[in-house]
Amino acid sequence: MDIDLSHQIQQVAELPGHDDRAWHLAWNPTKFLLASCSADKSVRLYRYTSSDAGLKFDNIATIPTGHMKTVRAVAWSPSGKTLATASFDSNIGIWEQEENEDGAGEWECASTLEGHETECKSVAYSSTGTLLASCSRDKTVWIWEVHPDADFECMGVLMEHTQDVKCVAWHPSEEILASGSYDDTIKLYIDDPSDDWYCFSTLTGHTSTVWAIAWSPTGDYFASASDDKTVRVWKRVAQHKWVGVLILTGHERAVYSVSWGKGMGTGKGSLGWLGSAGGDGSVRVWELFEPEGAEVTVASPPRHKLIAHLPSTHGVHDANTVVWCPREGYEDVLATAGDDGFTRVWRIAPST
Amino acid sequence: KASGKYSDLSAQSLWLRDSYEESDGEDDGIEEIDQEEIFDLIRAIYDPEHPNTLEELRVVSAPQISVTSNHVNVEFTPTVPHCGMSTLIGLSIRVRLLRSLPNRFKVDIYVKPGSHQSEHAVNKQLNDKERVAAALENPVLLDTVEKCLSNVGAI
Repeated sequence: MDIDLSHQIQQVAELPGHDDRAWHLAWNPTKFLLASCSADKSVRLYRYTSSDAGLKFDNIATIPTGHMKTVRAVAWSPSGKTLATASFDSNIGIWEQEENEDGAGEWECASTLEGHETECKSVAYSSTGTLLASCSRDKTVWIWEVHPDADFECMGVLMEHTQDVKCVAWHPSEEILASGSYDDTIKLYIDDPSDDWYCFSTLTGHTSTVWAIAWSPTGDYFASASDDKTVRVWKRVAQHKWVGVLILTGHERAVYSVSWGKGMGTGKGSLGWLGSAGGDGSVRVWELFEPEGAEVTVASPPRHKLIAHLPSTHGVHDANTVVWCPREGYEDVLATAGDDGFTRVWRIAPST
Repeated sequence: KASGKYSDLSAQSLWLRDSYEESDGEDDGIEEIDQEEIFDLIRAIYDPEHPNTLEELRVVSAPQISVTSNHVNVEFTPTVPHCGMSTLIGLSIRVRLLRSLPNRFKVDIYVKPGSHQSEHAVNKQLNDKERVAAALENPVLLDTVEKCLSNVGAI
C-alpha cells in the first residue's frame, strides 16, 4: 500500500560512531551542524555541506562530556552557540566552543546545572533563548533563566506530574512550556508576572506514557507521541486552551518521537509535515492542512494525509528520535537516531 | 543443548552486540527460535530472595511464552501478589533475553493478569526502555541482576 504514497523517504547519509544506542539529535539553528547523543556518554557533532552531489556530513568533533551516565537529550540555544545536554546522571551540561582564530576550538563545559534528583530526560531552550527547561524521573520540571557567562538561575520547580517527566518543549514564539509524562498526561505552563510559573492546563487522552511533544511551526497546534502507539494533535482554541483534535495511528509499537516542520507541501492551507518514529523502527510523515468547508469550527481537526512511510530506518532496531532540519531550503530533510547507535539523514522526495 | 552460544555475560553494551546468527556459523537464513528455547534461556534465573530458580518457583513456564518471527512475549507469575521483587525478576528476564536473543526480537514482559496487586505499574516499568536503560546504569541494581543471572549458562 505504501507504493500509493505521494513521497518516498530516501537515505542521504549514514553516520556511525556511537558505541551504544543513539538517543537524541538536535540540528543547530544557525550553523550547518547536527548533534547526536548516546548511551556511550558522548555527543558527536557533524558539519554538513550541500553540493550538486547532495548533502555531505563530516564528524568534526566528539565531546566526551564527562557525564557519568547516558546522555539522553541535546538542545541548541537559538543563537546556535550553546549546546545543552540532559543526562541520566541527573545533571544538565552547558557546552560552548572555545574561541580561536579558525573557529575549530574545543567544546568545553561552561556550566553544570544541578538540582534534579534522578535521571534528566529532556532539555529545551525557549524561542528567545532566555529560558531553559529541564525535566527528570524525579517528576519535576525546572525552569532556568539564562544569564550571561553561562550563569543560570532557577525560576521555578514545577511539581505537577505524578510520574517521570519524559519531555519538555517550548512554544515556537511565546513563553509557553509543554511537558509530557509517564503519568500519560501533558501539562502546559506559563509565567504569572506577579507570581511563579504555574500549570494552566492538563491534557488527557493518551492511554500510556507521553514520550515527546512537537509544536507546529506557527504554534497553533502541537503533536504528542505516546507509548499507546498513537500521535495526537492538539489545537489552540483560545489564548490558553488547547484541545485534542486528531489521533494518528499506524505505528505498531510505542511512538518515541515526533517532529513538526514546515515541509515542502504545496497544497492549499498546508500546516507542514509531521514526522514520527518509534519502537517499530519506522518513520511516518503526514501532511496536515487547515480544515475547510462549511462546518468548520474553532475546534475542527486539521485534514491529514500520510505522504511517506519507511518501515525499517535502523535495521531491526528502534528509532528513538526523528527531527526535521530547521534550515530554509532543507525543509524536506530529516534525521533519525536509533538503537543501532547510528544517526541517519533522509530526504522526503516525491514518488516517481 | 547449544548453551555456549547463549552465554554472553561479558557483553560490554547491553544493547549492541554481535548477534549470534553471525557467530554460530549457520546458514544465512533466519534462525527459528521456539518457546522451549526461550524457556531454556530464563528457567535458571535465580529468584532475588530465594536460593531457587524461577522454574523451581514456577514463576516462569514454557506455556507462558509466545514467540513469532521477531517478537517474544513473556508472562511470569510472581510468587505472591504483593511481591516487591517482581520488577527485579522481570528486569532479570529482560536482560537475559537482551543478551541472548538476536536483536531482531522485540521483547514484551508482563506479569500474569491478576497475579500482582501493582500489575499495571510493574508491567509499565518493565516495558519502558528508558527506565530499563537507566536501571541498568545503577551499579547496585545491575549487581543484583548479575547475581540473579549467575547460573543461567549452566543449563
